[in-house]
Amino acid sequence: MKKMLYRLFPSLLVLALPAAALAETTVSSTSIMRFRQNDLPGFDKKTMVPVTEFVGLDATKLADGNLSAHIYGWGQVELADRDSNDTKTDGNLTYGYLQYRFKSANAQAKAGRFFVNEGILNEQVDGVGARTDLPYGFAISGFGGATVHTTSIPYAGNDGKGDGIWGGRMSYRYAGKLEVGLAGVYESTAPMPKTSPTLPTAFGDHRLIGYDLYLNPHPMLQLSGQTSYNPTTEHIAENSYLLQLRPLKDLAVGATWEEHHDRDYFFDSLLFSNMVRNLSQQSHSLGATATYTFKVAEVSADFKHYTRDIGKAERFGGEVRSNSLFNNTVRAGVSYHYLRSSGDFAIVPASDASGSFHEIRGWAMRDTKTYFASGDVIAYVFKEKVDNKDAAWEGTASVGYHITPQLAVSGDISYGQNPDYNDELKGLIRVTYNFTAKGGSK
Amino acid sequence: MNRLKIFPVLALFGLIALSAACAQMKALPNLPATHPEELAEGPVSCSECHEDQQKGTLKPYAAFNHTRIFIQNHRFYASTDNTTLCATCHKVSFCADCHTNKTVIKPAEMLSDRPDRMAPHRGDFLTMHKIEGKLDPESCYRCHGRANNGRCVACHR
Repeated sequence: MKKMLYRLFPSLLVLALPAAALAETTVSSTSIMRFRQNDLPGFDKKTMVPVTEFVGLDATKLADGNLSAHIYGWGQVELADRDSNDTKTDGNLTYGYLQYRFKSANAQAKAGRFFVNEGILNEQVDGVGARTDLPYGFAISGFGGATVHTTSIPYAGNDGKGDGIWGGRMSYRYAGKLEVGLAGVYESTAPMPKTSPTLPTAFGDHRLIGYDLYLNPHPMLQLSGQTSYNPTTEHIAENSYLLQLRPLKDLAVGATWEEHHDRDYFFDSLLFSNMVRNLSQQSHSLGATATYTFKVAEVSADFKHYTRDIGKAERFGGEVRSNSLFNNTVRAGVSYHYLRSSGDFAIVPASDASGSFHEIRGWAMRDTKTYFASGDVIAYVFKEKVDNKDAAWEGTASVGYHITPQLAVSGDISYGQNPDYNDELKGLIRVTYNFTAKGGSK
Repeated sequence: MNRLKIFPVLALFGLIALSAACAQMKALPNLPATHPEELAEGPVSCSECHEDQQKGTLKPYAAFNHTRIFIQNHRFYASTDNTTLCATCHKVSFCADCHTNKTVIKPAEMLSDRPDRMAPHRGDFLTMHKIEGKLDPESCYRCHGRANNGRCVACHR
């Protein structure tokens, strides 16, 4: 039944597409051809030329004008040697759904494959969903259907997900100053791995409840965040909160506090629950960011302190970026951050190792009616050498031409050096096409 | 017996309440499906135009100014307003550039012609994730936790 639903909704969507001819339709396509050559001692030389096509279609104003169809996905074919991690051809329907927007209360209903991002919930579903505002500041949303399965973990023989999923959120808002939401998700029993190094009690069903909060008692003060609880492990999984102050119109200061209990937070992930053994349970972080917006640039400074069972670390730095240089045709930015961490965070933990590094980045881009170009350089400079390398860096240059306002062709070339490669040279050709057609009047 | 008598009364009361709520819902306005004016590329400041237009339960537009703090913490805003306010300017495919269940190309590479977008996994992230993953695995989990991306599975067994 669930498999039938899994196929039924996307099929319905495809059947509905002829009606798109009458609608306002936007098609977006990005074709990317990448070039990579691997020549490692002891291995065969490989040339990889994957061609990836991303296609999106949004057809609005269907039927009575309130129905719309939305599809997005990708397909890839490898023209040369296959990477050991990839198949020769691959593809994915990221989302594909019909949506009906009612005339009031921001009410809408969906059917097909779609993402659910409501309060503490982040799901992908093949099924149906709906939401609406209610009187007196209340709102309600719900969804249900088949789980979207993903890559199986080789040792497990499955992806660790149950076949059915449902959930929803109820919220209350008061005058744009307060919002409190209660949300929950229930996924049917997770399949147990055939063989697994996972701790027996570390992995299980995807079930979560929690609340989210938004509080804006004064224009200068804002608090938002969420807490989730895992009813299976009977523990809090996550606390994440952001406090923002706006003492001046152009100055914003944000402080974050996050706490995770990883056995409870990673419990529903076959992949991550297995890592808890190395990561342990507790994790806290405290951070602060200050941003000042000048006329042509935004300047920010940030700091974050991490406390984990395995050690402590802190990251600090700043960034300057502008989106409006040279009559708004040039955007540019520079940033610097330093991560100071103990050897416990090093790639290979050891008493004389270090997980500390500097991160330096600079970029600029120019977009005109005819051509566009960008340059981007990023370097990670290690405090202690990694695989005998002082740094990992990469520079990327991209040049493109707008053949028409809808069609553009661009090419990238990037070169870098890092612990894995003495030289890493990559190329990419990109064709983008964005087209909007307005159908017949209704 | 008393329970049987009270049930129709409760049902009637519920029906009246539901009808009243439905009638009131017609008075609740929709946000527009799309932003009425085309916006420039890059981060926007909603409050440049919407400073004093807050109505009903709508949150202040200034809260959605795309500052660095907003972009770093956009999940808090998307989790409450993505199908309404965010959707007036952003198509779901904009979110899916990074947030998807099956990735074929890392976001920073896919968007290499748009260095202004804060796409994750820039540069040699294959090396760096061995440090970042120990430091903040929860940030990895938000996208990769239940996606079991093929490339993760290749090493993390």
